[in-house]
Amino acid sequence: MAKIVALDPVTHRHTKIIAEQVEESGADLHMVPVVTSEFLKLVVHYPILFSKDAETGQFVCVALTGLQPGENLFWSDAAMQTLYTPLHITRQPFFLGQDDQTGENVICINESHPCVNQISGQALFAEEYGEIVATDTLKQAQGMLSQLLQGEKQTADLINKLLAKNLLTPLRLDITFENGQTSTLQGLYAVDEDKLARLSADDLFELHSESMLQTIYTHLASLGQIYNLIARKNKRNEQPNPWLKAAP
Amino acid sequence: MNKAITSIVVVGGGTAGWITAGRIAAMHCTEHSPISVTLVESATVPTVGVGEGTWPTMRSTLMKLGIRESDFIRECEASFKQGAKFAKWVDGSDDDFYYHPLVLPQGFGATDLAGHWQTKAFNIASKPSFSNAVCYQETICEHGLAPKTIRQAQYNGTANYAYHLDAGKFTQFLHKHCTSKLKVKHIYDDITSVKSAENGDIAAVVGKTTGEITGDLFIDCSGFQSLLLGQHYQVPFIGCEDVLFIDRALAVQVPYDTPDAPIATHTISTGQDAGWIWDIGLQQRRGVGYVYSSRHSNEEHALQRLADYVGPTFTQLSVKKIPIKSGRRSHFWHKNCVAVGLSAGFLEPLEASALVLVELSAQMIAEQLPACRSIMGNVAKRFNQTFDYRWDRIIDFLKLHYMLSKRTDSDFWIDNRRDESIPESLKEMLEIWRYHPPGDHDFTSNNEVFPAASYQYVLYGMGFETDTRFIEHRLKDSEFAMGQLQQNQHNIQQVLRTLPKHRDLLDKINQYGFQSI
Repeated sequence: MAKIVALDPVTHRHTKIIAEQVEESGADLHMVPVVTSEFLKLVVHYPILFSKDAETGQFVCVALTGLQPGENLFWSDAAMQTLYTPLHITRQPFFLGQDDQTGENVICINESHPCVNQISGQALFAEEYGEIVATDTLKQAQGMLSQLLQGEKQTADLINKLLAKNLLTPLRLDITFENGQTSTLQGLYAVDEDKLARLSADDLFELHSESMLQTIYTHLASLGQIYNLIARKNKRNEQPNPWLKAAP
Repeated sequence: MNKAITSIVVVGGGTAGWITAGRIAAMHCTEHSPISVTLVESATVPTVGVGEGTWPTMRSTLMKLGIRESDFIRECEASFKQGAKFAKWVDGSDDDFYYHPLVLPQGFGATDLAGHWQTKAFNIASKPSFSNAVCYQETICEHGLAPKTIRQAQYNGTANYAYHLDAGKFTQFLHKHCTSKLKVKHIYDDITSVKSAENGDIAAVVGKTTGEITGDLFIDCSGFQSLLLGQHYQVPFIGCEDVLFIDRALAVQVPYDTPDAPIATHTISTGQDAGWIWDIGLQQRRGVGYVYSSRHSNEEHALQRLADYVGPTFTQLSVKKIPIKSGRRSHFWHKNCVAVGLSAGFLEPLEASALVLVELSAQMIAEQLPACRSIMGNVAKRFNQTFDYRWDRIIDFLKLHYMLSKRTDSDFWIDNRRDESIPESLKEMLEIWRYHPPGDHDFTSNNEVFPAASYQYVLYGMGFETDTRFIEHRLKDSEFAMGQLQQNQHNIQQVLRTLPKHRDLLDKINQYGFQSI
């Protein structure tokens, strides 16, 4: 269970983060929430799609990292084997919460995250001239959280625009792998290319002037990365289970 | 002279008036269309607000009106209805109940599970109820689960569903929608008289302040008073109190004990000594009422029954007393006037038939709106034949619930089984069903209100027995049928795992709403 508490310079004076374990919480995610400002980096690996939040039913943007629940095809040797890893994973173990009284954003930490400990890794706070200050590690985390916060707003704007213009369409993936196994992914949505092509000049200009057009095309281009996932899965299926191989 | 039908006047601003005006306007008042729809509503006559229960048809009605499901649920205090639970209808004992769910029996059309369920293979002590054997919805209802999740698009669901709604709020909601989005013109005025044309048509209705409101087609949605069809045209009322004995209703609004109390996702109908009590869960309150036969009880006694049902809070509630006259006009479309809703007729709310008849009427008028006066007679004839049939089937279906009862504790139930009170058409059907389970082939019209599955749920829920001796050759697919029964058990586990609590989903709809895809 996640134990998320507000970050406090006194309480967390000796808290340390093991950088190598930050990404561990992504090990079994097959979908990772992402924001539009990441799209140009995400497109090097991942299909970017739209899905509905299980709790709220509201649309979110996700990067697909696996083809079935619990499977992250980028995770091996205890790390994400990627050029770019989504902020949602790299910002761990930090979250943004809201102060009950002031309503202001406060940084929170998941104390039960495997990278959090008191012994080894990067400290969050240091003492300078008798004052407790944030370390570069914490400043970097703050930077990621603020990028996420801003990105979530832009992402929500994009989604609302796509819904208002009726541009999203359900996408069902029926995949047959080389070894004959099949997999069906449902609950995913993408921009409907035909509808996009039929948009009026005014609508297109509107999307462009709100800097959404490029984002939409990046999303569409990223769909080709579904084949990247399939290829990774086929490769994974080929590799015999190391335990079986070790057996006499 | 043949004249185009362009001006449609709806008299009455209850649910019937707004649904009909809305359906016609949504279909015909498109850009550059010459057709106009005007709704005249009395500022002084209050709406009755019948029926807080609907059929799944309401989903398509709302869709056709261009309404977002979340808006409807939020503004009409609506909740999900997944069928009805009939308690104390069979023998009146404490554990006597059965369900009439909205999901079809598993494999309906592919195999005859009703037939298999009746066979010897099921002649066991642990025989599940018919509804539980063939359908997963009873489980959903018993666990208070919603028919869908917040991730499913509006109007889609895992299980088939209808709604419970606040009729007063629904009327206001439709009013706002029809006038702002669907080009329905709205006038507040009291109709004082009717002006006739030479051919006997209605030329205009005359409003107290507006004066003459002319039209080509007049739709009478004026409620029990039946201003145009009943009063003006004197089309006779045909009572059916010899078949359906209910003639009084006592209704109360019961607040929940706590704000997070569970909300039932089915209508609960509990048999009493002279009728039955309805219990409908909305978001903020329950609607509870006793409909009874004044020939078998009296008001004092009925009030006591209702008080017993509601419990100690009853003394703080105000009771609304509604006289019921069961029956309908001999025909519904006369000259250039057609009646929809209470002005056409009324039946007790046992199977929530009131709103569904309004929807079906509105749909047929919208779809078959005569292009010109010369063909109106033909359309009227069709309409009358269709609804003649529909009213009779509903009466049969309602009567079925009573006549199959084995209750002997009061004259009400005994009288309901008297041969002379049972329509011939129903007797004929029952004769057949003694040897064949009801099937779609029993219903020759494509205008059925209740599908064969509904008859199956009520018949076998009430303990009716079909003798399958002579149709054994048609039940040879027992392996497939057993597979379907297993599939249903699998579905039951699946819905228990995936569906949220009814109130939790309603809270989420109020907070987030459904997506349109």
